[in-house]
Amino acid sequence: MPLIELKHLTKTFKGKTQTVEALRDVSLSINQGDIYGIIGMSGAGKSTLVRCINFLERPTSGSVVIDGKDLAALSGKELRQLRQQVSMIFQHFNLLQQRDVRGNIAFAMEIAGMKRAQIDKRIDELLEIVGLTERQHNYPSQLSGGQQQRVAIARALSTNPKIILCDEATSALDPTTTTSILNLLRDINRKLGITIVIITHEMSVVESICTHVAIIDDGLLAESGTVESVFSQPKSVAAKKLIFRTIGADSGTLGERLIRIVFEGNTSNEPIIADLVMQCHVQVNILYADTRDVGGKAYGYMILQLPEDRLQQEKVIYYLKTRNLRVEEEDASHAH
Amino acid sequence: MPIEKMIPLMLGGVKDTLYMTSISTLFAYLLGFPLAILLVLTAPSGLSPKPLVYRVLDAVVNIFRSIPFLILMILVIPLTRLIAGKAYGSTATIVPLVIAAAPYVARMIESSLLEVDPGVIEAAQSMGASIPTIIFKVLIPEAKTSLIVGATISSGTILGYSAMSGAIGGGGLGQIAISYGYNRYQTDVLIVTVVLLIILMQIIQIVGMYISRKTDKRIRE
Repeated sequence: MPLIELKHLTKTFKGKTQTVEALRDVSLSINQGDIYGIIGMSGAGKSTLVRCINFLERPTSGSVVIDGKDLAALSGKELRQLRQQVSMIFQHFNLLQQRDVRGNIAFAMEIAGMKRAQIDKRIDELLEIVGLTERQHNYPSQLSGGQQQRVAIARALSTNPKIILCDEATSALDPTTTTSILNLLRDINRKLGITIVIITHEMSVVESICTHVAIIDDGLLAESGTVESVFSQPKSVAAKKLIFRTIGADSGTLGERLIRIVFEGNTSNEPIIADLVMQCHVQVNILYADTRDVGGKAYGYMILQLPEDRLQQEKVIYYLKTRNLRVEEEDASHAH
Repeated sequence: MPIEKMIPLMLGGVKDTLYMTSISTLFAYLLGFPLAILLVLTAPSGLSPKPLVYRVLDAVVNIFRSIPFLILMILVIPLTRLIAGKAYGSTATIVPLVIAAAPYVARMIESSLLEVDPGVIEAAQSMGASIPTIIFKVLIPEAKTSLIVGATISSGTILGYSAMSGAIGGGGLGQIAISYGYNRYQTDVLIVTVVLLIILMQIIQIVGMYISRKTDKRIRE
């Protein structure tokens, strides 16, 4: 049984002049132990979706079932108790500015009604996990963004949750800090078995730690599945748009033949392009490349601009196919 | 006026003014604080939106705030008599002062509470905090600095009102300024009362700002 089950969720916001359908019939299952990325352009409805998981937003229709409990059926008190099992971290950390690091971590446990001595002991453990023992008496204004997010993570962990929801948790951080926060989340997932749901607009976040991904576009679930399957063979327009979003912004090579080479697991460690150039004696231009290691397997893709000569083009494609790579025609307009 | 008469007169005036100001501020806060919390909770974007309650409270606060203080003093004379036994003097003045100041204080507190980052409130909700927990552990502590600044401004305003009340039977420095300085043309008395009022206001302001700065943890040390 999935840990989180969203069934036919819709959420409509009624304004004075217009109604906005933030979510339209979204169904999603998230299993215990997953790191589930939910990605979409801004305004796609992903923030609303994550807030439906802990009922900070009540869906207009559809149901949210967590660990077998239908949230709509819970009383106010039961819902508050359930939220202690579903922690959340935020883009802007949302720490209490007037409490120090210890006080902030204590907050969630105070709400849960834990005893002072127990709280103090747990804070020491959590400070160890997030590596902030030396900063325990600082206030949020004295901490960097990354340190503040670590405090938020400690706070989120304090009540031993089953699930941590991350709402653009790394979007306000620089790339290095982002990596360290993502590594911390991955450690938490592996060591403590906590299921993590990550809302983001950054492909790199999904690529680096998620096991599964769902793509939300205009309130609809465009595509979902394991990261490998969705990223190597995106089917929906929205997925393709997200995956190719960064390509060829200023390439000025439009109108020439482009191909996409897809690396699926085993071949991305070989110097394919160097071999190609040397053996076929052709010039190719790498317009975009994104090959990396996801979940222990290498995969990725590359966009190549082929030579003018038709024969040479076929030679390149033939060569790549002999190397067991999937080659697709790339429509230049796709790049935008 | 000779100095040996002036000193006891002024000391009494300062004492009465401080008495009216402090007791009125205290009662204005006792009324204004719950009122402000209700306004914040029941507002359309509040934690427990109740449009009807909010609209009524909002209107009542606005009505009381739009009545000029001197007129309010006259309007509430029957109530003042009922509570204080008479309609003149320092103690009696506390009644209209509280009625005038409570809605003002409520607005000050409301605006302080609304300054609290909605993200922090949302975080507390996501942890399963109840509304009372959010009020006492998030809203009030996070707004502390702003609340202290508000209290400073409010008590300064109440000090001003208390002096104004001297015009129609209130006590303290305002009454001294009017009965000696205005009615008997004793300009020296008038000037001394004004100077004393300025000093009192300065003290309130400096102390209030000092406390708010001292307790604010958002400032990097």
